[in-house]
Amino acid sequence: MCVSMLSVVFAITQGSVNLSPYAVWQALLGQGSGLNQTLVLELRLPRVMAAFATGGLLAVAGALMQILLRNPLADPYVLGISGGASVAALAAILLGISGFLMSGMAFLGAVLSTLLVFGLSARLGNTATMRLLLTGVVIAAGWGALITLMLALAPPHKIPGMLYWLMGDLSYASTPWLAWLVLVPTCLILMPLGRSLNVLARGPLQAAALGVNVKSLERFVFLLASLLTAIAVTTAGSVGFVGLVIPHMLRMVLGNDQRLILPASALAGGCLVTLADTLARTVIAPEQLPVGVITALLGVPTFLYLLQRGRL
Amino acid sequence: MANPMRSLLSISALLLSGWAFVSNALADPICVVDDRGRDVCIDHAAMRIAALSPGATELIYAAGAGDNVVAVVSYSDYPEAAKSVTSVGSHTRLDLERLISLQPDLILAWGTGNPTEQIETLERLGLPVYYVEPHEFEDIARNIDNLGALAGTSQRAKEEAKRFRTGIDVLHERYKQAPRVKTFYQVWDEPLMTMNGSHYISKVVDLCGGDNVFADSPRLIPRLSQEAVLLKNPEAIIAGGMGERNANWLEKWRVFADLLATQKDNLFFVPPSLIQRPTPRLLEGAQILCEKLDIARARR
Amino acid sequence: MTKLKLTQLLAAIPNKSPQPTHALSLTFQAGQMWGILGPNGVGKTTLLHTLAALKAPALGTIELNDQPITELHRLRLAQQIGIMFQEHQDGFPASVLETVLLGRFPHLSPWEMESEQDLALAHAALERLDLAEFAQRALNSLSGGERQRAALAALTAQAPDVWLVDEPTNHLDLHYQVAVMGLLAEQASMEKVVVMSLHDVNVAAQWCSHVLLLYPDRPPIWGKAASLLTQQNLEPLYRQKLAMTELNGKPLFVPIA
Repeated sequence: MCVSMLSVVFAITQGSVNLSPYAVWQALLGQGSGLNQTLVLELRLPRVMAAFATGGLLAVAGALMQILLRNPLADPYVLGISGGASVAALAAILLGISGFLMSGMAFLGAVLSTLLVFGLSARLGNTATMRLLLTGVVIAAGWGALITLMLALAPPHKIPGMLYWLMGDLSYASTPWLAWLVLVPTCLILMPLGRSLNVLARGPLQAAALGVNVKSLERFVFLLASLLTAIAVTTAGSVGFVGLVIPHMLRMVLGNDQRLILPASALAGGCLVTLADTLARTVIAPEQLPVGVITALLGVPTFLYLLQRGRL
Repeated sequence: MANPMRSLLSISALLLSGWAFVSNALADPICVVDDRGRDVCIDHAAMRIAALSPGATELIYAAGAGDNVVAVVSYSDYPEAAKSVTSVGSHTRLDLERLISLQPDLILAWGTGNPTEQIETLERLGLPVYYVEPHEFEDIARNIDNLGALAGTSQRAKEEAKRFRTGIDVLHERYKQAPRVKTFYQVWDEPLMTMNGSHYISKVVDLCGGDNVFADSPRLIPRLSQEAVLLKNPEAIIAGGMGERNANWLEKWRVFADLLATQKDNLFFVPPSLIQRPTPRLLEGAQILCEKLDIARARR
Repeated sequence: MTKLKLTQLLAAIPNKSPQPTHALSLTFQAGQMWGILGPNGVGKTTLLHTLAALKAPALGTIELNDQPITELHRLRLAQQIGIMFQEHQDGFPASVLETVLLGRFPHLSPWEMESEQDLALAHAALERLDLAEFAQRALNSLSGGERQRAALAALTAQAPDVWLVDEPTNHLDLHYQVAVMGLLAEQASMEKVVVMSLHDVNVAAQWCSHVLLLYPDRPPIWGKAASLLTQQNLEPLYRQKLAMTELNGKPLFVPIA
């Protein structure tokens, strides 16, 4: 909690323009020069909030999918769920749809993608890991190809609005409020569900034997994870590997209690993306990097390490 | 959007950027129409201009307002003076913080290059945005006129616009009766790309009495196979590209002995910086291209 | 007194059409220790899953204390009926203590954290199965036998009235076979219902008060272990010639080639 507050504060004080922490504080209070206020309130704050919410959404979505699949390699990006949401959102842009309807389309894309991946690989027991990953990778590749196709077919004036779906990017994020509107209630809902999820993580049969209504819980988690992914994608494009890295690191530190892991994922995921985005917008400023570059650079080694350890 | 609203926004922009002290708010606003057909009105001549594409940078310098430019983007390499102006990142991903901190009072945006969301953010902050997207020769001249009006350098801008218009008219007169030359213009090598008839480069080809062999292609910038080019059998091939030295692009066509352009040795290079940006330098590029097509005619 | 009553029950075994003549009508009573015997694939595990309401039966009803189990809420059911699986699905990392604590799940409301008492029960269960020192170890780092004991510890922490146990002696060395069977016998003596599937007829002979023999090709029989565990009943069960001897007043069966 403290760390996440600190990371937000740090992110707000950092930028391509140097502002003293005092100047930032004044701007937040509505004092100081108009320019500083604009910089902090209009540019940095929304972006930092968007980054934090995106990270939180993705990390929770990842943690939920890992429970659902009982596989620590599950992640919305790796499994192509983000890709599905991206394709649907791109289609929405091409059709001239925006706002909530676009988020809705992204949600349907995410659900479709999840259905595909889970349907093709979920119910196969212990041998499913390889199959799951292959299914996810192939589906992600398919979505990638569709994105390229849509970009190639799009009229030129729509392309700048579409490019960020290629790799997660917060440069374009302007409305973090939808993401927060989803993230906060999600965390609240998950609190009482945490114990049921703990049981579900031990397998559907075990969970049923301990009194969990497995079917409806699985369906709920499944829809929730899709929703979280879709909102994250409409906020920042497909930022990769957050859902993989964060729950993994937290499990190493906090153990496996989902009542802890899920809210902690929201916080830690928020921190990670906030810091990654701070890096992305300052490291070679004025050139800006997509935040997805940074998370992927963190995520790929983690993924390979997990795979290598073979405890799957 | 209605004019009063826009001026209200501009006023608030000025307030925001600390320009409230300037007290001639009663002066007549300057209004022009940008390339998206929108009215752009500002209350004072723009003194701090951000040009968010290399092309826009060239245009604002051409309009005589180079001294008023406070921000450019990567690859804004012409004129030489533009290289020393603060960069606010690449045109696809702007460093908005840096841009805002430079306190611009006019944004020259590139609709098909800058991210829609970022330009919207700038507009929301009350900054006046002028879209630069020329498609015709006249658009280039008109943009120079408009930018001159916005920056208070109308005199020089009008001269430059006139020079450009006259130059194009001269070429038009010279080549309108000339025998047509089937021409393939190569935008890029790998993948092989050209442009269709609605692109301004195609209009340069047309101006010089050439026929763009892919003018009817449905896409603005089609990707092609070599076969498609061989099938069209152009009489002249002209290569542009990113750098100034890409003769090997042309060498590749020499393999095809049956190709008319190869037989006649009509493989030409036009410096891309002179033709692949819709700026006043296009006139120079057009002159070179026209000369090349003249050479092709002479070899008949 | 807890009782689990089966009426004309036929478990739904995949790829087999139910035969009404093989239906079960019997009652598992508190204090009894039942062993289900039968050859591989006859449906011992399926029957246990059916009794735990994890699988719908092909025919018939199951009543827990005169109430059909299909009418009981899942959570309430889990407070009273516990099952230990033969194949442990531990797909996701967890420590031994966490696994055992899950046994307390049915007894807590959604907002409740595990209390001191729950923790104490879990630790007692670990202690009972000699797993105290493994409490913080990752479950998947344990050997097969240790995992088997951890699963049984979880069931102990769950403390149901009806214990359904699938092959309790799997993976266990002789010492722990005896310890585990002793634990189950102790539960039976505390007026719990204990029903287990067993592949070892001698374990059944040694420990069970009652047995249920599932034949592949004829109707099942059930009743007191002492009267049913005979060569006539067992040889067709396993399609194997057996020799019988006695040890400490209990029968002992040995297959002969």
